[in-house]
Amino acid sequence: MADVVIRSLFKKYGNHRVIENLNLEIHDGEFVTLLGPSGCGKTTLLRMIAGLEPIDNGELFINGKLYNHIPPQKRSLAMVFQSYALFPHMTVRKNICFGMKIKKLSKSEMDRKFEWVINLLRLKELENRLPREISGGQRQRVALARSLVLDPEVLLLDEPLSNLDAALRETASEELKRIHRQLGKTIIYVTHNQVEAMTMSERIALFRFGRIEQYDKPRVLYDSPATVFSAEFIGSPKMNFYEGEIEIRNNVAGIKTDLAFLKLDKEREKTIFSMPGRKILAGIRPQTVYYTGHLLRRRYTDTEVEILAELVENMGDRSLVVGRTEAGTLIRFIITREEKIDQDKRMKIFIDGRRIHVFDPITQLNIFR
Amino acid sequence: MLWFTGIICALVIVIGPVYLLLKYSVSDINSINTGGNPVPMWPYNPTLQAYVYLFSDSHFYQVLLNSVVISLFTIALGMILGIPASYVLGRYKLPGRKVLLLMIISVRLFPDIASVIPVVEFFIKIGMHQTYLGVILAHTLLALPYIIFIGAGAFESIPDDLEGQAIILGANRFQTFFKLLFPLAMPGLAAAAIYTFLLSWDEFIFSYFLMLGKQEIYTLTLYLNGIKYAEPQNLLAAISVCLSIPVIAFSFMVQKYMVAGISAGSVK
Amino acid sequence: MKNRRICWEMIILSDFKRTLSIENVKQWFFKTWPIFPAMFYLMSFLVIVLFYLIGLSLNHPCSEINFPTFASFTELFKNEYFNSALINTTLFMILGTPLELITGLFLSFLIFRSFFMRGVIRSLFLIPLALPALVTAMLLFVLFDFPGGHINHIITGGYSWFPQVFDQPINWRGSKLFSMAIALFGKVWRDMPISMLILLAGINNIDPELFDAAKTMGASFRKRAVHVIMPLMIPSISVVLLLRSVEMWKEFIFPFVLAGRYHLLGTLIDFYYNEIGNSHMAATVSIIMVICIVFSTLILMKILELIQKLIVSR
Repeated sequence: MADVVIRSLFKKYGNHRVIENLNLEIHDGEFVTLLGPSGCGKTTLLRMIAGLEPIDNGELFINGKLYNHIPPQKRSLAMVFQSYALFPHMTVRKNICFGMKIKKLSKSEMDRKFEWVINLLRLKELENRLPREISGGQRQRVALARSLVLDPEVLLLDEPLSNLDAALRETASEELKRIHRQLGKTIIYVTHNQVEAMTMSERIALFRFGRIEQYDKPRVLYDSPATVFSAEFIGSPKMNFYEGEIEIRNNVAGIKTDLAFLKLDKEREKTIFSMPGRKILAGIRPQTVYYTGHLLRRRYTDTEVEILAELVENMGDRSLVVGRTEAGTLIRFIITREEKIDQDKRMKIFIDGRRIHVFDPITQLNIFR
Repeated sequence: MLWFTGIICALVIVIGPVYLLLKYSVSDINSINTGGNPVPMWPYNPTLQAYVYLFSDSHFYQVLLNSVVISLFTIALGMILGIPASYVLGRYKLPGRKVLLLMIISVRLFPDIASVIPVVEFFIKIGMHQTYLGVILAHTLLALPYIIFIGAGAFESIPDDLEGQAIILGANRFQTFFKLLFPLAMPGLAAAAIYTFLLSWDEFIFSYFLMLGKQEIYTLTLYLNGIKYAEPQNLLAAISVCLSIPVIAFSFMVQKYMVAGISAGSVK
Repeated sequence: MKNRRICWEMIILSDFKRTLSIENVKQWFFKTWPIFPAMFYLMSFLVIVLFYLIGLSLNHPCSEINFPTFASFTELFKNEYFNSALINTTLFMILGTPLELITGLFLSFLIFRSFFMRGVIRSLFLIPLALPALVTAMLLFVLFDFPGGHINHIITGGYSWFPQVFDQPINWRGSKLFSMAIALFGKVWRDMPISMLILLAGINNIDPELFDAAKTMGASFRKRAVHVIMPLMIPSISVVLLLRSVEMWKEFIFPFVLAGRYHLLGTLIDFYYNEIGNSHMAATVSIIMVICIVFSTLILMKILELIQKLIVSR
């Protein structure tokens, strides 16, 4: 078990800068996800931690020890590749025991650890099969087992669920969480799937162009995104964005946008009162818009907007509505199953002012962070 | 219909000679020396006489043995030199790797018949003319570019993740090679070995220039060439069949690699 | 921001230093040493070949003439054996290269679309390649025997299924024209599969939707072949022509077995070396063969380039 510290890390391939001035701290036993769109450098970072890619500049500490020049064989960490990288010519048992054989463990210890791991990961009766003879979920578990038997200090997982179908993905992710709880290992998990990241990890490092955009607990990432990119990337369906500027009406500060004059909560209203005329990018999550037909919990911070429901998309337990104001501005929001809306219906909706995210359009940063 | 006729014609052109070869090898003497009558399309009295004669001749055994020994040693030497080289070219993303591979394979465009004189002169000078070793070295020279080319392809087709995983699991370079890369490249390397065997087995130019005049070390091709004016045609055909059978059998075994190589315009 | 730029500059600088350092060369060597034995083997033979070829050809068996001299070359160009071999080989190449292309095109057009047993038939089409060249040559040697070979019996009406064309059997190997033609036939027969495979690879690289598109536009098969397939096959046709023309210059086994008395450049080398025992002349012919290959390849490339331009502009 170990903590991982990365200080001002740089990496380039040819002239392409993959990772630029990256700092990251991962506590002992923590489950951290590196989240980001493809090509943002998160897998490269994982490979650098594993030692498969050399570090151009910067420092990597594990357990307080500088790891930059330690060859991958001697780093006590394990990695599960996206492709699982099972050795196709070896049986499940040989695959799992490969690392232990190389480390020259005694036969009895090898057997003991093997028994332990196949019980842990429900791999009994598969031990003499070849990788091509088992299912995708089983392969994923074998890859995990192969890493776990070596008792690594840090476990690196590179999109281990992306090759599984949706149903399997859920059980596999639950299993991963269970194992993390049981073994308490430091886990660094790479994914581009924000749902996986939100449900599994203790902290998420959101990547963009080789830099960390935000590093926080999932809840914080969702509730107060630090940048426009964070706000856009996290949450589904995507956030609505409106350009506007701060205006004071009837002695109350708000944001004038094409959609409406948006009101904020008291506290933030006070802050923006001092900066009228400032350009603003306002973000509204589809989940924070209410519909009158349902329960009315209007507050003074709610903004009322009249729209025409142009499109209603049924998503099962809820529906996504695309509405258009008289002026032609679009807004997407979620309604529950009980709130039935017909297409082309005029209606009033309310935007929760406490949960409007306010960004600076130039710096792209959240003003209230 | 036109297409069907075309297929039939092509099959006749392709298979016809093979049929005639087999026919000659089982012909009795009356079907060859017909005394002015046309040679029959199927022998009057088919017989395995030619084969029986061939396999009772001790010189033929010697020749067969020579061919086998030379090709086996060529495979051994070619593999010892070729596998490490193809490992480097297949596994490491070195700059200029593609160019180097192309250069290696285009060595084979240089005419054998033009390079044979210098090699023979050199071997005469160092006393390797008319020796097994000289022929083996020459055949290795011919086979090595193919071995490297096929082998590099075999190593390259192994996913990088597997190697990365082995390294993370603690394997050093040699363990990675012997436990992982080598077994996985095995089918391709076997094809390269078979290809080498074929090349050495029916190689003629270098064998001819290097062994001419020394009957004891003749290979099958030289033996066949040496008796072309003298022996009855059924014997010629029988030797040809013996020479061809392993070639045809192995060719179909490595057909996949041969087709791939030729399609890329690289392997002859 | 500025801090970051300085950092990148540092990395680039250290990169540069690293590339040049002894440490890096050592590392590089550690990575690539397994390639060196094979490279050494190939390189040393390359050096031997070039060294001996040049050394031998710029010398002359006459003891008065010292190295370096072009005496071997001048003598060769006056020699009628050589001149006739050079002309023969040129003709062999000029006739043989298109023939190989045509046979290859024929076979590949027969089997490029999928049909019942296509795999088997393709394998059968590879037989000529699987038969050793020497065996093929020997078989032709037997078939074209004089006076009693199969071919002679066929053309003199020995079989009921073939009309009589000639009264007398032909002495194939006694005639320069016929012996060359038989050698050429053998060579083309053996190489058919090679051309076929390269061309098939070319056809398979063409997007099948293109054929469908041509079909929907109502083009007949022939038009489709000419306007859609041919231009897209120019690259693979070029490869066939280039590789095959080189092979034609190099040819040895077929003329060696079938046209013993009439020389091509390849068999002339054998004649000088093994029959006359003149290694200088043999090396000189070898060099000339290499030069011919280089020039013919360059010319052919130029022609192909022109054709390509012509087709594109049309």
